[in-house]
Amino acid sequence: MDLQTAINIPWKRLLRLALERGGSYADLFFEQTIYHDITLRDGQVNAAGTHTDSGLGIRVLTGDQTGYAFTESVAARDMERAAQTAAFIADSSNPAPQSVRLHTIKTKNLYPVTDQWNDISPERKIPFLQEMNDLVFGADKCVKKVIARLSDTTTFIRFYDSEGTGFTDLRPMASLSVSCIMEAGGKTETASCSRSFRIGGEFLQHSLIEELAAEVVARTAFQFSAVQPKGGEMPVVMAAGGSGILLHEAIGHAFEADFIRKSISIFSGRLGTRVCAPGINIIDDGTIPFNRGSINIDDEGTPGQKTYMVTDGILTSFLHDRISAAQFGVPATGNGRRESFRFMPLPRMRATYMENGPSTEESLIASIKKGLYVDTFSNGQVQIGAGDFTFYVKSGYLIEKGKLTRPVKDVNIIGNGPAALADIKGVANNFIMDNGTWTCGKEQSCPVSCGMPTVLVGSLTVGGGA
Amino acid sequence: MRNAYCSCRIFNGWRRSMSTPFTLKDMAQYALTSALRKGVEQVRVTAMQDVSDSFTVRNDKLEKLYQAGESSLFIHLFADGRYGTCSTNRPEEKEIDRLLDTAIASTRLLAADPYRVLPPAEKCYNGLIRSGGGLPSDPLSVEAKKKTAFKCAAGVWGTDPSLVHVTADYSDSRSCLYIIDSQDLYCFSSDTYYSLSAECAVNGPHNTRPSDWYVKGGITPDAIGIGESAPDNCARLALERALAKRAPGKIPSGYYNMVVENRAASTLLAPVIQAMSGSALQQGSSFLLNMLGKQIAASHFTLKDEPHLPNEPGRRYFDSEGLATKPRTIIENGILNLYFLSTYFAGKMQMTPTIEGPSVLQLEGCEKDLHSLIQKAGKGVLVTGFNGGNCNGTTGDFSYGIEGFLFENGDILRPLNEMIISGNMKDLWLRFLSAADDALHYSAWQIPSLLFENIAFAGL
Repeated sequence: MDLQTAINIPWKRLLRLALERGGSYADLFFEQTIYHDITLRDGQVNAAGTHTDSGLGIRVLTGDQTGYAFTESVAARDMERAAQTAAFIADSSNPAPQSVRLHTIKTKNLYPVTDQWNDISPERKIPFLQEMNDLVFGADKCVKKVIARLSDTTTFIRFYDSEGTGFTDLRPMASLSVSCIMEAGGKTETASCSRSFRIGGEFLQHSLIEELAAEVVARTAFQFSAVQPKGGEMPVVMAAGGSGILLHEAIGHAFEADFIRKSISIFSGRLGTRVCAPGINIIDDGTIPFNRGSINIDDEGTPGQKTYMVTDGILTSFLHDRISAAQFGVPATGNGRRESFRFMPLPRMRATYMENGPSTEESLIASIKKGLYVDTFSNGQVQIGAGDFTFYVKSGYLIEKGKLTRPVKDVNIIGNGPAALADIKGVANNFIMDNGTWTCGKEQSCPVSCGMPTVLVGSLTVGGGA
Repeated sequence: MRNAYCSCRIFNGWRRSMSTPFTLKDMAQYALTSALRKGVEQVRVTAMQDVSDSFTVRNDKLEKLYQAGESSLFIHLFADGRYGTCSTNRPEEKEIDRLLDTAIASTRLLAADPYRVLPPAEKCYNGLIRSGGGLPSDPLSVEAKKKTAFKCAAGVWGTDPSLVHVTADYSDSRSCLYIIDSQDLYCFSSDTYYSLSAECAVNGPHNTRPSDWYVKGGITPDAIGIGESAPDNCARLALERALAKRAPGKIPSGYYNMVVENRAASTLLAPVIQAMSGSALQQGSSFLLNMLGKQIAASHFTLKDEPHLPNEPGRRYFDSEGLATKPRTIIENGILNLYFLSTYFAGKMQMTPTIEGPSVLQLEGCEKDLHSLIQKAGKGVLVTGFNGGNCNGTTGDFSYGIEGFLFENGDILRPLNEMIISGNMKDLWLRFLSAADDALHYSAWQIPSLLFENIAFAGL
């Protein structure tokens, strides 16, 4: 299936077939993706890939019930079969009336591309990775191995629905990751870091590889002196940036309105109530230019927007897709996202962050007699109904008598979402957005990002020796 | 192949489609021939087709129906001593040629890599008549699948006032795979998988909705009880587990004996398997580097790969580059016997290729069941699930959130949450005491419930 096919698909006929059994709504989501990757290993750029993927996903709704099918074929009969299969979620023989006038949604382009990835040869990417390799090796004589990987994706989307909505979106994504292995004193340590944006070839800046090379070497060198701390409950100061994973795991998922409408989130029924101290604002935002989590328009036709989930400590909005918005009688918030045409959209986060507060990082650290300061993370998880969340800390420091002391690494931290939110004791004024390759794995993979100023949580359980 | 569908069956009004069996194979052959014609010295082509259905029932209503049918062609190119890949889900001659032209041009710009070669022919699979094949047939009607999901949810819906919701999910998949290469490799396999799962959420104290799940699965519909007259117990078991998790708490940090339930046990083994992989070893980022032939686990710990066991998920005769599988003892009496080495990483390490990874992992237990392990442990923590966490593959340091139960004298005392285990993998497996004979057969890793002594738990 190609772009011309997408533009020429018999959308009216497919939507009519999709609704022939009485479904109340249907949409068509055509997608074509071109993906390139190129890898440096053992000092040389010696592997590259070119991949294409395309297809048409057809969704039919009847109330909160969903029928979904997709086809990778350009044949009209295959697209029609997919429509008829999805239609089976409804069981009436009365076709629903549908609008046929197409109104195309135009939005501001948050990720304009002037340097198209499809026009960029490996000849331009190879020296970029090679220079990154040289910078990492040059930064520390203990470096033994480097793996660097550059990937770019260009996704074209064409959408139609039974309400007459149509849109087109061209979504770029570029990611660069580097990992480094160092040996010293008979020990081996490794660390990695990454950056990712919705951007074209403008991504290939020398400043980017300088930044990443310095960061990966510093992170790896740090590991040699770090240890797992003694575990237990303690106050935790979460450094600005990647600590936004706290918001993603402890709060964001539990605010996704599919969990709310099914009454399985621990925050179900708490809209309009206080969930944390006054002055705290928590946002899920799809409108940050070039951000990995941004979307001009979501995957069911709602423009990307900035959603205040918590305003001045009060829970003010959940994250809605079309189904939950209809159930709660509120506008959709532009969170209906999907991994690809193979998946139906779900409420998903975009860029989730907390706004600055009045404190300073120094004052938050100074207020702790014994605790933990954490600054880099690799992964997290949450149990929606119980509210228990975790995130894995790659590096941090013990706090003793108000000062950072011993470096720590490789500990899991666990807490309860509502309790942790209510236990935020202070927010600093040093907000940083983390632009790493964060990917959310709720049933499907979706690119997201997160950020936060430095925050003090009164008590969390920290892993480590007993 | 997506653009060569033929209409195969119509039943109950649900129209199904299925590709012509030989078309995908033909496209794989076309890609191979075309790549060679364009000057590539060696090439491997993997073609895959997969069809799946799922039906999700929430409480007493069909929430989702989903049908997927997909195919892909993945091409490995070895040109002028250089290596590149390309893939498409649009296996048509024109698209394949366009893709090959782009990918070959890109590959020729890369640095040469002498270790990127096809696997040694004598180590490759060579056991099939080249008659090809296609997708396995679907023995179940749409109505039977839907009914199975409804029957599962009905097992608990309306039976307990604490139940917030039950979600029952039936899903199946049928797939086929071809791998061919320019050394005349020819591999074909087809597979099926059926699963039935239930998740229940219940009302707990403080607005909590603890939930739990239960799943059945296997390569035939029998594995999920289709055709049985007895009521399905999936949802009932999920509900019992969710109810048991209400009002959890923490216990003081300390060292406790740990029993890990069978369904969670693979989490602890996964970092060990990863540390045996060529990709980690060759980079020096494995805590099992230079440990071949050495003690890495307790002397009564033995782990096998049994790839040819019939009727087990994960069984296979070849890996993704065509290397032939065979039964192997990976760890014998605590001694590491095997690294998982593909042709590339074996070459780089000046070793012989083995296999890219395990197929059907088996760890035999000598205790009767989970309860026997709990009794043997005396006092400790039963871990029924992990909540996040990770393992540093270079050092073996790990830290995982857990949920489970405190037990004493063989009795479950109370549910636990918000606790964390930490340690080092090399030390953990030396603390292995025993395993039960209760491995679950719905996944390729058949790891039973495990008992470890004196593990560090962080809690209060």
